[in-house]
Amino acid sequence: MSERRSLWRILLEEFRRIEEELSRIEEDFLRRLKETETMRGCITPLYNLYESGDEIILTADMPGSNKDEIDLRASEDHLRIEAPCRSPLRKVMHGKYMLHIKLPAKIEPSSVKARYKDGVLEVIARKKLPGVRVKIE
Amino acid sequence: MERALDGVEIVELEPIEGEGLIFIEGFPDVGLVGAIATSFLVDRLGMKEVGYIDVEALPPIISIRDGSVKELIRIYRKDRLIAIVSDLPLPAAMVKSFSQRLMDWIQSKRPELFISLTGIPEPNRLNIDKPKVFILGSSKEVVERALEHEGAEPFKDGFIAGVKGMLLRESVRRGVNMLVILAQAHFNYPDPGSAAEVVKFLSRILDIDLDVKPLLESAEELKLRLRDLMRRTSHVMQGIQKSKELELPPVYL
Repeated sequence: MSERRSLWRILLEEFRRIEEELSRIEEDFLRRLKETETMRGCITPLYNLYESGDEIILTADMPGSNKDEIDLRASEDHLRIEAPCRSPLRKVMHGKYMLHIKLPAKIEPSSVKARYKDGVLEVIARKKLPGVRVKIE
Repeated sequence: MERALDGVEIVELEPIEGEGLIFIEGFPDVGLVGAIATSFLVDRLGMKEVGYIDVEALPPIISIRDGSVKELIRIYRKDRLIAIVSDLPLPAAMVKSFSQRLMDWIQSKRPELFISLTGIPEPNRLNIDKPKVFILGSSKEVVERALEHEGAEPFKDGFIAGVKGMLLRESVRRGVNMLVILAQAHFNYPDPGSAAEVVKFLSRILDIDLDVKPLLESAEELKLRLRDLMRRTSHVMQGIQKSKELELPPVYL
């Protein structure tokens, strides 16, 4: 019984150690991100990247920008976004948004469509599908 | 002052007493909807800081506003309304014990109602101009009373993860009247538009006049300023399986 208890305590301590280590890694990541943003004047927007069927969808939260000023570039395996970021109330420049992402699959750059709504940029790209279509008999 | 062995201390700077108190909490989670809505309420009603919650597991940080030192989790009051506002998300490991401790304190005040404000993740949020508002209650009576007001529908099936879920569970177990107001929201982008819908419904429930225009006008500015809190909250949400809220509970029949 006491052996089982001590095993349980070892496991709990190990979980706590892993949790502390993860928290340290996360803190380190956030610190580096903020330091880089401050040094370079570039803001990394909050973003999500999804794969859905034969599409890749990227959304990025970029308040204080303007659709005409967003520079979006697409290659087969990267998306690059650059845009000014202004305080919407004071019209003061905060810096610029900069996001450069390696995509999880190759895309057709000419298929990329984007829209900017309520401060969120949405980019949809069609995946490059290799091979030929096979008829099912 | 309320002390406990679980590292949660609730401090009343002035006695929080009275009949028919209504508590409102907006701990940061999905789209920071609850946090934005509660802070807006505190600001617009000119609520007074009357206490704070000290949590051992939170990092040793203080908040400075206009040169004044602020606690991370603050309690505000105006008349019967008590609002709890937090500048940091709660660490996943202490959500359960914190919820029990907070509910011990709230229950001891014999409140008329405890209201939790939050967002429900909506992957299609970008295509929604007016987010829907849902309500959940600790009892049928609480939900029916809330539904007498226009602008919300009952939340039928799903999961609620994190502090809101645990508080609701505790309120059901203890028979405390609790209402959760949820609006469709971006999962991990600050969503003032969603918070505005929550505030609109809340103002009907509380029968107070709250104009959300200032909130909507400063929406983009708020999104910019809340980016870091959202990033930290997203990490915590991963730890409490918040994405579970995108799923439906299993049905076997």
